[in-house]
Amino acid sequence: MQILSRIPQLLIYGVISGSILSLGGIGVSLTYSILGFANFAHGDFMALGAYIALGLFTLTAGLGIPSTPLGPLSFGFGFILSFILAMGLTALTVVLIDRFLFKRLRHTSSIILMMSSIGVALGLRNVLQFFWGPQPHYYIEKIQLAIVIPGVGVRIKPDQVFIIIAAIVSVGLVHYFLQHTKMGKAMRATADNMALARVTGINTERVILWTWVIGATLAATAGILAGIENKFITPELGWQMLLSIFASVVLGGLGNPYGAILGGMIIGLSEEVSTAFISTGYKPAVAFIIMIIMLLIKPTGLLGKRR
Amino acid sequence: MSLLTGDGIHSGYGDMEVLHDVSFRIEEKEIISIIGPNGAGKSTLLKTIFGLLKPTKGSVTFKGNSITGLAPDRIVRLGMAYVPQVENVFPSLTVHENLEMGAFILTDDFSARLEDVYELFPLLKKRRRQRVGKMSGGERQMVAMGRALMLDPELLLLDEPSAALAPKLAEMIFERITAINETSVSILIVEQNAKESLKLADRGYVLASGQNRFEDTGENLLANEEIGQLYLGG
Amino acid sequence: MDTIVGIINYIVFFAITAGTYGILSLGLNIQWGYTGLFNIGIAGFYAVGAYTAALVSGPPPGAWDGRIFGGFELPFLVGLLAAAVVCGVVALLVGIPTLRLRADYLAIATIGIAETIRLVLKNESWLTNGVWGLQQIPSPFYDPIHRGVARFLGGHPDLSPWVHDLIFKSYNWFYLLLVLGILFILYLIMQRLVRSPWGRAVKAIREDEDAAAMSGKNTFSFKIQALVLGAMIMGIGGSLYAHYARFISPASFKPLYGTFLVWVMLVLGGSGNNKGAILGSFVVWGIWAGTDFLTGYFPFSATQAASLRIIIIAILLEVILLCRPQGLLQREKRPPTILKKKA
Repeated sequence: MQILSRIPQLLIYGVISGSILSLGGIGVSLTYSILGFANFAHGDFMALGAYIALGLFTLTAGLGIPSTPLGPLSFGFGFILSFILAMGLTALTVVLIDRFLFKRLRHTSSIILMMSSIGVALGLRNVLQFFWGPQPHYYIEKIQLAIVIPGVGVRIKPDQVFIIIAAIVSVGLVHYFLQHTKMGKAMRATADNMALARVTGINTERVILWTWVIGATLAATAGILAGIENKFITPELGWQMLLSIFASVVLGGLGNPYGAILGGMIIGLSEEVSTAFISTGYKPAVAFIIMIIMLLIKPTGLLGKRR
Repeated sequence: MSLLTGDGIHSGYGDMEVLHDVSFRIEEKEIISIIGPNGAGKSTLLKTIFGLLKPTKGSVTFKGNSITGLAPDRIVRLGMAYVPQVENVFPSLTVHENLEMGAFILTDDFSARLEDVYELFPLLKKRRRQRVGKMSGGERQMVAMGRALMLDPELLLLDEPSAALAPKLAEMIFERITAINETSVSILIVEQNAKESLKLADRGYVLASGQNRFEDTGENLLANEEIGQLYLGG
Repeated sequence: MDTIVGIINYIVFFAITAGTYGILSLGLNIQWGYTGLFNIGIAGFYAVGAYTAALVSGPPPGAWDGRIFGGFELPFLVGLLAAAVVCGVVALLVGIPTLRLRADYLAIATIGIAETIRLVLKNESWLTNGVWGLQQIPSPFYDPIHRGVARFLGGHPDLSPWVHDLIFKSYNWFYLLLVLGILFILYLIMQRLVRSPWGRAVKAIREDEDAAAMSGKNTFSFKIQALVLGAMIMGIGGSLYAHYARFISPASFKPLYGTFLVWVMLVLGGSGNNKGAILGSFVVWGIWAGTDFLTGYFPFSATQAASLRIIIIAILLEVILLCRPQGLLQREKRPPTILKKKA
């Protein structure tokens, strides 16, 4: 019975974790649907964003941009500025990686691209480690007091509320983009059938560019939010989350960004709630087991196409 | 000057040459039908014209300019549109969005053109918010053709438009093709259903084993007994 | 003379490790090179092989062990065979649910499996002693050889120091011969295998699985066999590693590094070519060891040097994929048969 009383709190953790996984997963799904391969470097894109934000934040603090905490949050204007700039710089880096590497391999198979992305993953991770070292770097030094939600009795920190809101806003923006802008519709069309998109006159190279930009921006966001949640970052941050992200994406339907959101929430909640029943040492395995079950029953995922 | 000419085209997939020295022409406002047995190279010819395949020899000329080897997205800007035989719509987009994608390269407002297309296909207007993936074969074929028409092309390439359709639906599609032609769009149609397509064609070509076999008006080809025996089984 | 002895000893150590990686590459070559299975879980099989050998041949749980099981002190060969068998069984269990999946899904699944194996090794202390690992894994013939060497050196006290040093390290020479011998035997077996009807069948599956299925082959069964066979070879590699290192822990099998290195070895050497697999392992291990020296000349910290070396290997992989994806030695062409018809 004591286990059950922990569940509401674990659900809150699950929502936070799931939000971050969802943001990471959308990028993986978009990349898969349009570029045709599972990008193993996506986790390291997240780490890249987190570290760029850290670097920028140190820079802005040095330049005297105010960093006094905003309201109940742990961070201030300087951090928010770094956050936004980091999103842009991560997107730029990823676009360059595509331009000089993935683009030249577009005509090869998805396996070659996957292999190449593994190389990018290890390379990026170790570039981060080269400059920042393997030890954790702290985003937030102080411990923040949690608010207790009356009635339900769960605790949540203002930072965590920020994370959830940031995730909702990001997802909302992506949804609006995909459904109501010309380029967004072109992305959905290209995901359906790239050959037909070309025949129709859609500039598929531009679609690919936008895919990387959106994916990288979301990855950076996810990485920074993870840093806020865990309070520190290490170069392994992305890789540690990658398996859970892949599980989310497979669960929701590889290639479907909405599936990534659904899958992310389910995996996040499952992972956290599972700690009430099994040892935390096996938490990463929970995502994997759910994924395997999904692959056996319906490989195309919950929201997947019948393809 | 013909609208579209092909001269001595050799084309194929990798090492396998499918078309050997194929030539044809299309004049403005014509409906040209290409018929022949399975594997004759009819689809390959359309793909070569539209730049999805590069000919190893020969040339394709559109409105006086060579388009041999140009990529499809360049050709589509010159006034030609192509409807593939299969996978010719975006299933997860709505009817309206499919048509919108047809007008992708236009920077101006396309709503006038959209109305014209809806006039040709009133059913599409009714169903414009429906996801195309859920529609029937005949409806999808209409969406596919409507999408191709959004750029107001002078020449429309249709790859087996009636394939996999029940006879009544095929009839409806052929009737729509005639209507499209009446809006001054030339049409090059490749068909298994030789009889029906020859009926609405001005002229026709018979392709077999990747080579020109016959060329004549639609009526004459229909009346020709030899062709009837060899190729008009379907 | 000292440095020459040092270099020779280093080369021996180098060759032992490169040879072990060569065995892993041969295993991957069966799975990927010949059958087209994208297995990113190599480190998992390697670890299972090493742990099995250690548990079978190693000492029973000691006073400070977390273990309650294992350590049968059986001979080296038994451990080796056990490693192969257990890896094969694990591969079978892994393959049954996952081999029907497409390449992308298979890749993700194999990473998950390697991760799970690592977690089990870390958490199930009663079997594996968790993060503290297994110690004192005996090397085969260690005592006899050392005793023989000691007796020889004792009977010849007038040897020059460098000869003395060389002979003292004789055990390593023995182990090198052991590794190279097993590598060679496996190579011969692989060569026979790929020229056999079985080899042709799996090659056909790699080329075009649908076509192979339509010609009546049970593609799933062949894929399982390839996975199991490759895994067994990786298990043998793991056992050789365990007996040489004499100490293993979950940290020895960092999932992506071992896996990644072997992939680069195979891609560089030439997937689908057994000689290429072996060549690739020696070349890449040479580059890996070489970068160890190089970074020593610069004022990098230890972790910086390690990161830099991995970056170099990652760049190497990308360069190969961009410029020569078939590798140094190309895929072996089918031996010509008189009855072959042109399609």
